Amino acid sequence: MAQARPKGQIAVSIGIAALGILVLAGAMELPAGGGYAQVGPGVVPRIVGGVLLFLGVLLLKEALTGGFRGIDEEAEVHLPMDWLAFAWVSGGILVYGLLVERAGFILSSILLFVAVARSFGSRRWLSNAGVGLAVGSFIFAVFNYGLGLQLPAGILRPILP
Amino acid sequence: MDVWAQLVNGFAVALTAQNLLWALVGVTLGTAVGVLPGVGPAVTVALLLPITTKVDASGALIMFAGVYYGAMYGGSTTSILLNTPGESATIVTAMEGNQMARRGRAGPALATSAIGSFVAGTIATIGLTFLSPLVVELGLKFGPPEYFALMIVAFTTVSSVLGDSTLRGMVSLFLGLAIGLVGIDNQTGQARFSYGVPQLLDGIEVVTIAVGLFAVGETIYFASKMSQVEEKLEKLSGSIWMKPEDWKRSWKPWIRGTFIGFPFGTIPAGGAEIPTFLSYAIEKKLAKNPEEFGKGAIEGVAGPEAANNASSTGAMVPLLTLGLPTSATAAILLSAFQQYGLQPGPLLFEANAALVWGLIASFYVGNVMLLVLNLPLVGLWVKLLAIPKPQLYAGILVFATMGVYGMRQSPFDVFLLYGVGLAGFLMRRFGFPAAPVIVGMILGPLAEEQMRRALAISQGDPMIFVTHPISGGLLGLAVVVIVAPWLWRRFGPGARPA
Repeated sequence: MAQARPKGQIAVSIGIAALGILVLAGAMELPAGGGYAQVGPGVVPRIVGGVLLFLGVLLLKEALTGGFRGIDEEAEVHLPMDWLAFAWVSGGILVYGLLVERAGFILSSILLFVAVARSFGSRRWLSNAGVGLAVGSFIFAVFNYGLGLQLPAGILRPILP
Repeated sequence: MDVWAQLVNGFAVALTAQNLLWALVGVTLGTAVGVLPGVGPAVTVALLLPITTKVDASGALIMFAGVYYGAMYGGSTTSILLNTPGESATIVTAMEGNQMARRGRAGPALATSAIGSFVAGTIATIGLTFLSPLVVELGLKFGPPEYFALMIVAFTTVSSVLGDSTLRGMVSLFLGLAIGLVGIDNQTGQARFSYGVPQLLDGIEVVTIAVGLFAVGETIYFASKMSQVEEKLEKLSGSIWMKPEDWKRSWKPWIRGTFIGFPFGTIPAGGAEIPTFLSYAIEKKLAKNPEEFGKGAIEGVAGPEAANNASSTGAMVPLLTLGLPTSATAAILLSAFQQYGLQPGPLLFEANAALVWGLIASFYVGNVMLLVLNLPLVGLWVKLLAIPKPQLYAGILVFATMGVYGMRQSPFDVFLLYGVGLAGFLMRRFGFPAAPVIVGMILGPLAEEQMRRALAISQGDPMIFVTHPISGGLLGLAVVVIVAPWLWRRFGPGARPA
């Protein structure tokens, strides 16, 4: 067990430490003194960055000496990772971000709905698209005709009221 | 003015037709998201934050609070029928209540948890009513160093009590603090960590972080790790009413649970997890037939459910009187106050008495509504559990993404949301708790402000935090909270020789 996981744990620990360094680097460009308080906008960032770096090192130590402590061994952590499902959710959200202002809110919502449902194993493409259309249109109607906000109509603009 | 007069004024606010409607919307929505797996009160309140621009403060806050405590009622329904605790505070209910459901006693289990929640919620609201003015008195004597120290205590308890590891809790907290740094420093106007990206100048919205961590992160996690796991929904058969014997066995645990839960909620000790376990242990000890525990003892549902509810209402005391949130949802409630330019704390009770007391009065009203929603109408909520997972999570994500995009109409926020979702997935995967991130990002800037104010008073001398006795004592407590678990592991009875 302990051999299989630490690779990920080591990466996470290094990531936290790296984030700490990033915050510290940004903090160094901010003035630490000045003002009546003699505590400038750079002081707290220096503390936060420093502590993050320190915590990252502690995590790394745990990861290298038997893995993170207190992880429930029975837990789902050991279930296999379903990368295809991961890709479907990720793709769904990213495509939504790319398309929402071009294709419009309703169409991107349908795509997102179908993609997330697929990631949970549902292949009923047509009926999922239908539910997605219903949910998307409902939200669109409430916002654009009810609340007076503007969700993008996109390429459906000509046919929407 | 005394408490009674204030409370009467509060009811005058809470009982207007408009605010009754907001309370009803809030508790109904709260019950629904409490019942539904995959979406909780934190995400819901976060997604609703934009309505603060359209609705008056008392209406919106009454609704948000309704979502907060309504979710506690709804959560127990899911735990009992599905055995998947929505949050750590309902683990015990999931154990014992699900056992009852498997033996065909789902009805009484749901009834004792709903009535127990009502009893606990109401008693705890009475506690809130009479304790708050006292804490306000105390809070008025506090200066910046004391507030700073209090916030540090809240930070340490939130990150070391929630979750399995103090170290990972602290990492989550500091991630939140780092997120809170982004944007314009409100004291000097200096831009921090914006990297020239104009969208970052206003800071990162709590909506994006809460929805990313809780909704997107959870969805990615469940899709890629848990979709093979089968869940069995227990049927709600037979009468939902409790027999006289059930009443006899339930009422004492309700009361005991309330008195265990409420104090735990009021101190910034993070979460309802400990009081529910404590209540369970006590009920098991006091029971005439403890061997029934683990096989569906009604006391084991009644006590912990009451404790859970009392503690979540108790958590309103530090939030309203001192501005200290002790859970992710409470932190988002705090940011809802901030949307109106209000800062919870002793001064709020003076400057906005009608608002605060209206909110407190709405708790009494909301609990009555919830009792009706969750007892006679429980069958309705059970139907929500029949929504198949693929469509449920797909719907949640459509709403969540819309909420984040619609906030500023910016696709940038959708990509940021995905990034936060990935981080949430990794945190879940590697056992980092999410709540300290939210508390850190919202409370962090306030703590910084108090710290800098305190140092302005002392002309830069950091000893002010130690020489002021209250703040010194609180900071000492914070150190104990961090170091004690470590010392316990190292030198306690279960320690392995190094």
